[in-house]
Amino acid sequence: MMHRILILLAALICITARAETPREVIAKAAVLDDSEAQAKLVQTLADSGSPDVGQLLTLWKEGGIFLLSGPTDTKIAITLGPDKDAGGNQAVFRFETGAPVLDEAGKPLRALASDLNTAETDSLLRTAMKSVMDLAQLSSADVKQRLRSVETLGMEQNPERLPVLLSRQQKETDSQVKRAIREAIALTEIKDEDPAKQIAACRELGAIGSIPSQDILKQVVKDGVPEVQVAATAALKEIASHVRTVDTVGTLFRGLSAGSILLVVAIGLAITFGLMGVINMAHGEMIAIGAYTTYIVQCVFGPGLEVSPFGFHINLPGMNATGWHYDCYFIVAIPLSFLTAALAGLALERGIIRFLYSRPLESLLATWGVSLVLQQLFRLTFGANNVQVSAPSWLSGNWTVNDILFPWNRVFVVVFAIAIVIGVNLLLKKTPLGLLIRAVMQNRNMAACMGVRTERVNMLTFALGSGLAGLAGAFISQIGNVGPGLGQLYIVDSFMTVVVGGVGNLFGTVFSSLGIGMADQGLQQILGNPVLGKILVLAGIILFLQWRPAGIFVSKSRSLES
Amino acid sequence: MMKLVNSAALAFAAGAALTASILPARAQETVKVGVLHSLSGTMAISETSLRDVLQFTFDEINAKGGVMGKKIEPVIVDGASNWPLFAEKAKQLLEQDKCAVVFGCWTSVSRKSVLPVFEKNNGLLFYPVQYEGEEESQNVFYTAEAVNQQATPSVDYLLAQGKKKFYLLGSDYVYPQTTNLVLLEYLLSKGVPIENIGGGFKKDESGKIISAGKYTPFGHTDYQQIIAEIKQFAAGGKACVVSTLNGDTNVPFFKEYAAAGLTAETCPVVSFSISEDEFRALPAKQLVGQLGCWTYFQSIKSPANKKFIADWDAWLKKTTLDGVKKEGRVTCSPMALSYDGVYLWKAAVEKAKSFEVDKVREALKGGISFAGPGGTVKSQKNMHLTKNVFIGETKADGQFKILKTFEGVYGEPWLKGTFKPKTAKK
Repeated sequence: MMHRILILLAALICITARAETPREVIAKAAVLDDSEAQAKLVQTLADSGSPDVGQLLTLWKEGGIFLLSGPTDTKIAITLGPDKDAGGNQAVFRFETGAPVLDEAGKPLRALASDLNTAETDSLLRTAMKSVMDLAQLSSADVKQRLRSVETLGMEQNPERLPVLLSRQQKETDSQVKRAIREAIALTEIKDEDPAKQIAACRELGAIGSIPSQDILKQVVKDGVPEVQVAATAALKEIASHVRTVDTVGTLFRGLSAGSILLVVAIGLAITFGLMGVINMAHGEMIAIGAYTTYIVQCVFGPGLEVSPFGFHINLPGMNATGWHYDCYFIVAIPLSFLTAALAGLALERGIIRFLYSRPLESLLATWGVSLVLQQLFRLTFGANNVQVSAPSWLSGNWTVNDILFPWNRVFVVVFAIAIVIGVNLLLKKTPLGLLIRAVMQNRNMAACMGVRTERVNMLTFALGSGLAGLAGAFISQIGNVGPGLGQLYIVDSFMTVVVGGVGNLFGTVFSSLGIGMADQGLQQILGNPVLGKILVLAGIILFLQWRPAGIFVSKSRSLES
Repeated sequence: MMKLVNSAALAFAAGAALTASILPARAQETVKVGVLHSLSGTMAISETSLRDVLQFTFDEINAKGGVMGKKIEPVIVDGASNWPLFAEKAKQLLEQDKCAVVFGCWTSVSRKSVLPVFEKNNGLLFYPVQYEGEEESQNVFYTAEAVNQQATPSVDYLLAQGKKKFYLLGSDYVYPQTTNLVLLEYLLSKGVPIENIGGGFKKDESGKIISAGKYTPFGHTDYQQIIAEIKQFAAGGKACVVSTLNGDTNVPFFKEYAAAGLTAETCPVVSFSISEDEFRALPAKQLVGQLGCWTYFQSIKSPANKKFIADWDAWLKKTTLDGVKKEGRVTCSPMALSYDGVYLWKAAVEKAKSFEVDKVREALKGGISFAGPGGTVKSQKNMHLTKNVFIGETKADGQFKILKTFEGVYGEPWLKGTFKPKTAKK
């Protein structure tokens, strides 16, 4: 019995020794100079079925394989051991066997990673690697990986892959992947010799509205037999109508998200300017404060931050968090950016604006000055360059339904905007503070006569408006630049939105921001030019204000001044 | 401004005093050299680095005895990102200070605005930043990358990688517009059908294409629509984006690009305006794997480059020049080309045995070689430079991994209407 097993084992070893192991193939490919030959070798790995192929290829792609010049002008592929000695040298291992490499004296060789040449990969080679890994990922548990794998296999149009796809089709449960498999099978079958199969494939592609297949179908229309040409033309028509739907729905969503951004940046101003009547030119810098707060929180979660404003040296230690711990930074940053901006607003109100309630034009000048001071402050503290804020991983993906793209960050801003509007509305309409705010904003003197502490209400209202601007900053850091000039980018848009909506009316701001966002994205889609769309929107706004100078919703007031 | 000039002069004086003991003779004799970059305003972020590297080069040359025994005396002026001011400052450098040569300008518009001043006064300007070509002044020496030393090699590389569809995207001004028109002609000449070139076209009444590609203004933040378009464009695979977007508009672009699920593997972006210096202000994570094309990368592994970087770091440590940021500095192509420019001028002066512009120009046209950090460069008859072109891939640490090298590419400014890029080996 024992003998038999041993013989079997020996036989097995012999078989595996004859077929090259993935490690040997990769080692052979890594030393080649010609990337086409490399790609061909890597392609052969697709059929190996070995589970660690993906891992090995990833190691190569990420620069973990190095080349060592051998004695007779040959190169050998090596990897480095994990531990570094004092000089930064690492142990050297042969890639194919994992055995340590010996130097001339017969001692294990050690080398400095930066002195070695890495086995480079270019995009041709990486595409080959990707297709090999894709095949391995076809049965992955992760839906996204399966989807990507199916899509790539479809584009390869390789009939040899058909059985794999068909067997996967039986097992697949996810509807998105199912659709992708149908597409991949049709794409492969369109290459078939049999016109009947080709026609069926064209029909299938048309039925699922396959956008990626358009180029291939166009080719078929040029070269195919007449019946197939007809089928392909019909399929292209169907796909074109699908593209139109995708564009329309996509544009509506993009308009919604652009409007939401406008709303988020303008809602703070709708309170400080709309309700309180303060022309706050420093509103943009309140947004920037929120964005910089997000940056600081990110740094504290990451590697820490060193700033030296005015010669003071401030060193914030970092927590060096990784994974989802790090991704949580944004959750912490949201309330903190509200708080810091609210505090800054509080200081601004106490220090300057409270003296200027009766003199709106002077408040314009004073807050403009403040905005310049704040910009310079950012520059001195964080430098004139933009700072990097990276999106947490849960905000950087997207959700694709039927080819319509919903990036998470955009979905998030829409939800965020809705939440802010509901929150602010509840605060103003349902709380005692809201009642006081509305009373003071309607008639400051009368409210004071009734015993309302108008000073306090002014202060809190301004802080609320500034805090909302801070929230906007936290969000903007996820989609755009964070730099000293950030505020200037949004100040005009904010005022425009509030004025168009009707000063003093929160819902006016909601309507105008959505309207402007939709019009902007719609025109961009129709005209295909981002600048022209914006110009038309601005011209439209000018005409609109000629017609209705007080905006969409005119606040009715019984006071004599109006 | 005066203060800056004074302190620069002071720094120079200190340097001169140091070396005076080695070369006692003629330490007083100097030659005035102009430096014309924006040290304030929007372009200051990029251009200040060039002022720094020029000062470093002058110090290095002065420490070795100067040019023909004369010490370089830099006259540093601030163009303040204000194009008419550039012309005024150029006038001051040429007419008042009588500078033998001027190193400067970054944007094409600043170069265009100083051009008449240099031509009128017969001055000599060394221009170090990639540009759109279609210009060949006798008073400008273009160390810069011409279109065939950046744009067309990138396309060659992408074609070799099996890319079939090209989406053209840029900031809306002269450099991207002109470059994309040349690229369009080039792509068509390479057999890429016009429907595979994305971004849209603008035609005049006669149907001639006057603008190719999609353009966004400076400071544009909303790339949703464009990304959706690219996503559809790239759906069939084998597509790439050729980007001439400038400055910080790259941040919202790449953030949106990543959010849409596009990656460097499915649809790479080759950017002509992102060098190591710009990279410092961009989110590295979103850019990994994207391509760049320059005639110098900091990651070049050559003894000349190692020495250049080491000397530059040493200079940064000890310099007392006003406003030099000392931490986190990198080297990039415009910096290396500024450095090459100074040495080429020095060699030309020594060959001509004169500081006179006409004689120096003749020497430059005769072909002068210099082994710079990016490899050997050679001046050409058409006032451009033959140099190596590198394609690189961005890494998370802000450096480029070099993927391909084109050696000794001849600088050719007149490409529009010819699309015959020459890769002369000399």
